[in-house]
Amino acid sequence: MELGLSSTSDKSVLKLDPRTKLCLLIAISLIMVGGKTAGVEYILRVICAAIPFVLLLTVRHIKSALIYVVLIAFSVFCEGSVIPNISGAPNLILMILCGIISRFVPGYMMGWYTVRSTSVSEFMTAMDRMHVPYFITIPFSVMFRYFPTLSEEYRSVHDAMKMREIGQSVKNPFTYIEYVLVPIMMSTVRIADELSAASLTKGLCAGGKRTHICQISIRLYDWLLMFGTLAMIVLFFAF
Amino acid sequence: MIEFRNVTFAYSSTDANGRAIEQGSINGLDLTIQNGEFIVLTGGSGCGKTTVTRLINGLIPHYYSGTLNGEVMIDGKSVPDTPIFETAKKVGSVFQNPRSQFFNVNTTDEIAFAAENQCCEPAEISKAITATAASMHIEKLLDRNIFELSGGEKQIIACAGINVLSPDIIVLDEPSSNLDSEAIEKLKAVLTDWKSQGKTIVIAEHRLYFLRELADRMLILENGRIAKELITEEIKKLTADDTEKMGIRPTMLPEIHCSQKNTDVQGDVLLLEDFRFTYNDGKHGINIPRLELPANHIIAIIGHNGAGKSTLARNICGLERKCKGTLIMNGKKLKAKDRLHSCYMIMQDVNHQLFTESVRDEVMLSMTDKLLTDEQKIKKADEILSQLDLLEYANTHPMALSGGQKQRTAIASGVASSKPVIIFDEPTSGLDLAHMKQVSNQLKKLKEIGKTIIVVTHDNEFILSCCDHIVRLENGCVADN
Amino acid sequence: MEKKFEVKDLITVGIFTALYFAITFAVACIGFIPIFMVFMPLLVPIFAGMPLMLYFSKIKHFGMVTITSVIIAILMFITGHPYPIFIFCIGAGLLTEIVLKLGDYQSIKSCVIGSSTFSLWLLGMVIAFFFGFRESYLNSLADGYGQEYVDKMSGYTPTWVFFTMIAMCIIGGLIGGLLGAKVLRKHFRKAGMA
Repeated sequence: MELGLSSTSDKSVLKLDPRTKLCLLIAISLIMVGGKTAGVEYILRVICAAIPFVLLLTVRHIKSALIYVVLIAFSVFCEGSVIPNISGAPNLILMILCGIISRFVPGYMMGWYTVRSTSVSEFMTAMDRMHVPYFITIPFSVMFRYFPTLSEEYRSVHDAMKMREIGQSVKNPFTYIEYVLVPIMMSTVRIADELSAASLTKGLCAGGKRTHICQISIRLYDWLLMFGTLAMIVLFFAF
Repeated sequence: MIEFRNVTFAYSSTDANGRAIEQGSINGLDLTIQNGEFIVLTGGSGCGKTTVTRLINGLIPHYYSGTLNGEVMIDGKSVPDTPIFETAKKVGSVFQNPRSQFFNVNTTDEIAFAAENQCCEPAEISKAITATAASMHIEKLLDRNIFELSGGEKQIIACAGINVLSPDIIVLDEPSSNLDSEAIEKLKAVLTDWKSQGKTIVIAEHRLYFLRELADRMLILENGRIAKELITEEIKKLTADDTEKMGIRPTMLPEIHCSQKNTDVQGDVLLLEDFRFTYNDGKHGINIPRLELPANHIIAIIGHNGAGKSTLARNICGLERKCKGTLIMNGKKLKAKDRLHSCYMIMQDVNHQLFTESVRDEVMLSMTDKLLTDEQKIKKADEILSQLDLLEYANTHPMALSGGQKQRTAIASGVASSKPVIIFDEPTSGLDLAHMKQVSNQLKKLKEIGKTIIVVTHDNEFILSCCDHIVRLENGCVADN
Repeated sequence: MEKKFEVKDLITVGIFTALYFAITFAVACIGFIPIFMVFMPLLVPIFAGMPLMLYFSKIKHFGMVTITSVIIAILMFITGHPYPIFIFCIGAGLLTEIVLKLGDYQSIKSCVIGSSTFSLWLLGMVIAFFFGFRESYLNSLADGYGQEYVDKMSGYTPTWVFFTMIAMCIIGGLIGGLLGAKVLRKHFRKAGMA
């Protein structure tokens, strides 16, 4: 399942602290979505667009990095030389498409990098260090744990439906959705019960500050990156 | 020391109409467990053994609500009056379902979880994890995705998590019900280790053979009371007849003697050809060039976890499109897509295959014959339901039934679909003796009405009771037929 | 949030948020086809209504819906959605919290209304396309193409589309909520699970 953070430890070349990644995310979404395409902001935009590319390379997601470059090149090319030369509906569609790509894709890519390069335990530790209260962090970790279960559940229900040939005998789409969702929801309730019981016997919410065996620390390059990000945001608002 | 003094407990729940009801579970229980004792609790489903484990780890009354009378004490401290996270320091718990007892995705995080909750020093936790991994030989399982592990490996991880915090008391609630014999051996090794460390162990179980040498006392529960108490010597002397009389599973693993090996199949056959299938990870899969199975028999497919039993079952069912194999039945060649029409699988977790709001609807959903009118369908459905002793539940919601009844509902819809081959995936996991026998009778009935039955199982006691043909798989290949 | 949350509450929040988010995500994937994108605020709440109603039926006290909305906001943010998502998610969460509170976390009616107010967070996903983004994008175009062209473009993406989306969220949420209520009655009540 692609939804969750990665489950095992990070094996990348450049190990960033999750907090640094959050800073970068904020900067990229601010600058790419709101920025103009001239002057200092243009330079900022180029830098922001390049960051996800470099970071994706450090975690060896070469394929996604390449797709990203192709997308950005496509939109720059179109905005520069195709859009001025066509008109009407194609112009409109192309323009919206390029606008979406050049403004949103860098953010999505940064998000993709964050998700792929952070393990669940790193993420939880980082949230604790940022003093996020327990009533946010606990549901969060339950969620990451439940995504894979959910896809297992879905697969089983899907198999059962195939075997019982429900796709053929049930024509009403709402009934169909009901048949998919009800068994999943039933087991969701059951798993929530069993998981709560198991967590209680393992002393969850014992009071006091939970410790974490996962070690995260803000290193020199984290400081440099965060400082750089801050500078970009200041520049962005100054101009 | 754990003490129960005249404990009575009833769960409070709601019935189908939303009224509050009370279900009695434990009735006047008196029990003292000394430090370092190894106690086995057994008895039929609903006898109250799980409730006893919950009373010890504090889930009753802190999580499951109900009416509790009497006193439960650990080392002189009342469990109901102690906050549950305090009890958690003294009592470690392992549960039945390995899928729903994990809080983390990563194995190492999960092993550390209980200790992290008690705010232990990270460095010390890491040290304890390394030591545990070495003593339990699970270095390979560290820093893995839990969802990639087998059920047996998951239970071992649960045990490892307990080891890190090292509580004095450990309660286990049917830990073996989803495990194969190899995994049970590993569990037994862990239990032996704990016993030698002087831990108090309370285990509720149906399968008893792996506990025979470990148990100090065995308590057989009935209707919430201790019906019989056996000590070490008595347990070791138990014969198959004795356990049968007591209504519990045997304490010795019965051997399976095959009358003939690698026999040629006589009469009608199902011929499997070219069953080759590999999962995306490239490692697991099956490779069966040719396999003959007798039609209208009860065929058991056995083998270790990961040998490809379930994969074979899924492929016979036609659930994997990539599989190019064909099944020849009555002279007809069936490809994966055709097999979906002729095979029906009762899944290990039947909850996934029940969709409608009443048992009768469930059975009728399987009747795809357009020529039948609704009335004919109802009549036919009721016939099938009465064969399976379900008629009185025809209007009940399938999810309100007990596990065995749900399984029968699934069987009923399989019968209604009039598919000739019915496949069972681990039908007896977690069943007591009486229910196991019930399932085996059901299978015999299906055989009588002309179905071919394929059972994926690792329950030897069950195989002996009803199967008449065995296929053993090893690394995705047929080892014996 | 004065009352301390119990472990069970937090796990319920986590699991149901996961279920809700996964369904939203699955439906939103259709949104990559531009035509469907416009209808996403209608479709998502219809599909997600059933688990949402089941979730509401498990809620017994204040704060759980708000936590769900905060979690969704954080998740959307780290997957690269722009920051206004926070305002919309938490706003919708609080509003729903009040609606449920008015029904004392019991009334089916307020759950159905809650399902439609909660769906308003979806606007946070599309808002950037309409306000901040459109203005600045068009302004940046103005340098190269002239004001006349820009005016024509604004005509194609009028602000009223945004208000239509609000209506779609509310209607979708109502349909989803009603379907969910029906399923609750039909299955969960009968099975003794709700």
